[in-house]
Amino acid sequence: MNSLNFNIDNGYLEGLVRGFKGGILKQTDYLNLIQCETLEDLKLHLQSTDYGNFLANEASPLQVSVIDDKLKEKLVIEFQHMRNQSVTPLATFLDYITYSYMIDNIVLLITGTLHQRAISELIPKCHPLGSFEQMEALHIASTPAELYNAVLVDTPLASYFIDCISEQDLDELNIEIIRNALYKAYLEDFYKFCQTLGDSTGAYMSDALAFEADRRAFIITINSFGTELPKDDRAKLYPRCGKLFPDGLAALARADDYEQVRAVAEYYSEYRVLFEESSNNPGEKTLEDKFFEYEVMLMKKAFLDQFHFGIFYAYVKLKEQESRNIIWIAECVAQRHRAKIDSYIPIF
Amino acid sequence: MGSLYRSEEMAACQLFLQAEAAYASISELGELGLVQFKDMNPDLNSFQRKFVNEVRRCEEMERKLRFLEKEIARDQIPMPDPKEIPNSPEPREMILLETTFEKLEKEMNEVNVNATTLKKNFLDLTELKHILTNAQTFFDEAVLDQSQISEDSGHLLNDADGLQGLLQTLRLGFVAGVVLRERIPTFERLLWRSCRGNVFLRQKEIDTPLEDPNTGEEVMKSVFVIFFQGEQLKAKVKKICEGFRATLYQCPETANERREMAAGIQTRIEDLNTVLSQSLDHRHRVLVSIADDMKAWHMKVRKIKAVYHVLNMFNVDVTQKYLIGECWCAERHRSRIETALRTGTERSGSSVPSILNRMETTEHPPTYNCTNKFTKVFQSIVDSYGVAGYREVNPAPFTIVTFPFLFSLMFGDSGHGVLMFMAALAMVVMETKLMQTKSDNEIWNIFFGGRYIILLMGGFSIYAGLMYNDIFSKSFNIFGSGWYPHPQRYSEHTIDHHKDLTLDPTNNSDYRGHPYPFGMDPVWQMSLNKITWLNSFKMKISIIFGVSQMFFGVILSLQNSRYFRNSVNIFCEFLPQMLFLSCIFGYLIVLILYKWIAINATMSACAPSLLIDLINMFLLNYPLEPCSSAEFYDGQKSFQSFLLLLALVCVPWLLIAKPIILKRQHSKKQVQLLNNNDEFEGRKSTEINLDGETQTSKQKDGRKDSHTGHEEEEEFSFGEAFVHQCIHTIEYCLGCISHTASYLRLWALSLAHAELSEVLWNMVFRVALKMSGYTGLIAIFILFTPWAVLTIAILLLMEGLSAFLHTLRLHWVEFQSKFYKGDGYLFDPFRFDKIIEVSADD
Repeated sequence: MNSLNFNIDNGYLEGLVRGFKGGILKQTDYLNLIQCETLEDLKLHLQSTDYGNFLANEASPLQVSVIDDKLKEKLVIEFQHMRNQSVTPLATFLDYITYSYMIDNIVLLITGTLHQRAISELIPKCHPLGSFEQMEALHIASTPAELYNAVLVDTPLASYFIDCISEQDLDELNIEIIRNALYKAYLEDFYKFCQTLGDSTGAYMSDALAFEADRRAFIITINSFGTELPKDDRAKLYPRCGKLFPDGLAALARADDYEQVRAVAEYYSEYRVLFEESSNNPGEKTLEDKFFEYEVMLMKKAFLDQFHFGIFYAYVKLKEQESRNIIWIAECVAQRHRAKIDSYIPIF
Repeated sequence: MGSLYRSEEMAACQLFLQAEAAYASISELGELGLVQFKDMNPDLNSFQRKFVNEVRRCEEMERKLRFLEKEIARDQIPMPDPKEIPNSPEPREMILLETTFEKLEKEMNEVNVNATTLKKNFLDLTELKHILTNAQTFFDEAVLDQSQISEDSGHLLNDADGLQGLLQTLRLGFVAGVVLRERIPTFERLLWRSCRGNVFLRQKEIDTPLEDPNTGEEVMKSVFVIFFQGEQLKAKVKKICEGFRATLYQCPETANERREMAAGIQTRIEDLNTVLSQSLDHRHRVLVSIADDMKAWHMKVRKIKAVYHVLNMFNVDVTQKYLIGECWCAERHRSRIETALRTGTERSGSSVPSILNRMETTEHPPTYNCTNKFTKVFQSIVDSYGVAGYREVNPAPFTIVTFPFLFSLMFGDSGHGVLMFMAALAMVVMETKLMQTKSDNEIWNIFFGGRYIILLMGGFSIYAGLMYNDIFSKSFNIFGSGWYPHPQRYSEHTIDHHKDLTLDPTNNSDYRGHPYPFGMDPVWQMSLNKITWLNSFKMKISIIFGVSQMFFGVILSLQNSRYFRNSVNIFCEFLPQMLFLSCIFGYLIVLILYKWIAINATMSACAPSLLIDLINMFLLNYPLEPCSSAEFYDGQKSFQSFLLLLALVCVPWLLIAKPIILKRQHSKKQVQLLNNNDEFEGRKSTEINLDGETQTSKQKDGRKDSHTGHEEEEEFSFGEAFVHQCIHTIEYCLGCISHTASYLRLWALSLAHAELSEVLWNMVFRVALKMSGYTGLIAIFILFTPWAVLTIAILLLMEGLSAFLHTLRLHWVEFQSKFYKGDGYLFDPFRFDKIIEVSADD
């Protein structure tokens, strides 16, 4: 694939996604949104943006969950449209994007059944981008091996699952391990796929996925403190396609507390800044927020270049961030808790 | 009807509305549609405005209306347009509407919920029925399979034992249900995998599609029965069924029971059917009763919403009793607006009248040209290039004539003109009827919107075609040609066989001595040098008409300067421009006319070549050989040199004079300002002194100009003014030359059109005319169609479009660049009819 032939198959979609990107809320929109007194105000303001009448057919009083559903629905409609119009390799690329949602859905459903929740109650909570046919039958499995043999073997995730097949019963820790193992395999596979595409897609996506991988490695490490996860198992969960690989990951595997993680990040200029600027004090940004901010910065960069698939990935990620922002503001408005209303992450 | 020459005089007004009367007044103004409101609180968010709650209520109503509309559309009940557009409702009526909609929505919801449950029941029963009817075959097959297996393994099982025996002996359990057809393959695979092949699934497709009670869509489903052994498997199977959203039903094990159950279900289905049809009938009746009102309701709500949107642009005064807004309106409509405001006040029963107060402003007023259905299209041609500045000369009225005229010069063929004229005439005559049937066809709408311009273009083309004597590339010989080869001089044989035969215009036996009285002599149609002759003629008239139009444009710039009292522009721009144009191209036109009148056939050998003459004029070189380039009147050389010199002088004049004068004026003002700085009043008097001559009737305009002019001069920079003038000069001087050349497209397009139509005639239709006898008859019959189709498709539509675009260009670039600034903005009044139109399009 090169710039010369890119537009034959993907020109329309690239134009489309750039158009969609133009509709992403700007800083001024956020400034207006945080002045809202009620959710109705929010709806009124969103009407003047690209969201248009997406809430017009909802009876008041408005719920935050309704807004959330509608935001997702809009993204899904846009995404499905692009997916339907695309041909390989873009189609495969877009499918890869949905896999991460599938992993989340699987984990959500297993956790739900573990807590004896009815499947019908859990299904609406799944992200529609990651739904697949056998999804609702997930709750028949009680061990990872069953899960694989019965359900996942037919899904694209099957190959990622091979590493975590075991006859152990599913429990909280197990599920987390499954999630991270799946993610690891997924990221590495996606990374490899993007490398085969080469050119600027490969170059851009390796940056984006490397960041995603490193973020996961950091977060896995930090979250594992105080749990019974042994260090060797933890090391197995690190995705090996980031900038941390191999030295950083080795160091992370040995880390015992937050300070040691921070010491690892010291060696990487881009992550050092994130750790330095974050803190858990109220009023300052958390590490998670800093990661999100860095991600937004990275995703925006995708639009500076033409003729590559990175913008599709970037668009979905930015849109997701935007949904998080709107929901955050909506929650703050709904709960009349305005103190932290401005800790959203502006995109443009 | 106002004049189209300049846009309407606008007044900036302040509007004081009493709070109670505000709604009624604004709705009256909306019906009137003559006022453009200014947003007084541009900094406020949409949800911080005063009437946001009302707007929200309207949106809620619209939501309910949309819901009802969807329901009506689902039952395929037509929603007719109201006969007349309803008046904007009173605020009281809004509450009434709200309750009506509320009630309707509730009723509709109830009906829908009932219908859904009924349908759900119906679906359940039908599915069960299908299971029961199909179960027998499943069980039979199962028995057969089992018995085969049993036979293989040596057991003896006879059919009499039947299934019960089998089920009991093997303790087989089963579940029966229905699942979406497309899910069957994965369903089956998953069952097989998770139960390790220990279940046995039989399925059959249900032929008739079933209605999904929630969405109302038709779905295809399949019946299945799963056999298994043991309780654990049963739990697992049930879970899987649940995961695939299969509906499970209790199915009796014996055939007899099944038969009984099926009969019972059949009666229940019939009962349910009657209930269902009754409830659907009820729903239908409700919807039919409201379908007629739907559109009118929509319009009403739309109007209410629009009124509140306007009111949101108003300021509220401190006492909360008045709403204050600003608006633009045409000076001559003020009395009508005041009347409307009075009616509004009366309608609301308020005692305090609303006040429309004229105010002074430094803002540029919007441009408002009153158009009717005829002038609208011409105005829109001008507006799509740029909206005229406030009170600037509007080229639209001249466009009405020049546009079709220049078009016809390029499209000059009476036959095609007649076709075009007739088509447009049909659209004009059936206007009202066609207007009612709104069409979504964009191409049709373009043609229909331009029907008057097409009518004129057709009419003018007929005239131009008569002038060119060109009808479907043929000529009429009405008055008898002026050329007449005398039979004594030329035998028929000579005429027929000498292709190169040349008629001599000086000889009386060849030429009658007087030209053809109207238009082109038809004899040219068959002469070999037709194109050479026509080219020379058409090029010359192109230059004449083109340069005249440019002259006219420059004169219009004088009108602008005079109107805006800009004497600098008159002396430093208009005068040199006019001189420049007349010295070169004005002189050329004179020469063309001179050549036409004074040079006759006897002098044709040494007739002056105007092109060479123009070149020589610039080169100051007058060779005696060949004689066509020699001087042809006394003092030609010195006169032409004088003209050239004059034109050259105009260039620096145009370039330097204006910036220098502006700079001098500016510094003079600065000095005066400094001198007057001590006195407070001094500054004002200076201004009035400076613009003293601009008083009397145009007092306020003069004041305004001086005011805005003052602001500009504060930041006057000589460099900028000079660069600007430099660009302007270059553009004008080069433009004059290139634009004159550009007008030659009149000739080029005309030539192309005539040639194309001739080729079409000769290559297609004449083939048939040449044949004789019955073959000729048939050939004419056959070949007429391609000729007619090609004439319409290529010559009328394609050539017409191309000529139209070229005319557009000649107007926008060549004509309007001479005077038109087009830096205004359109007057956009608050009008209900437009708002409703937009909503109808949605």
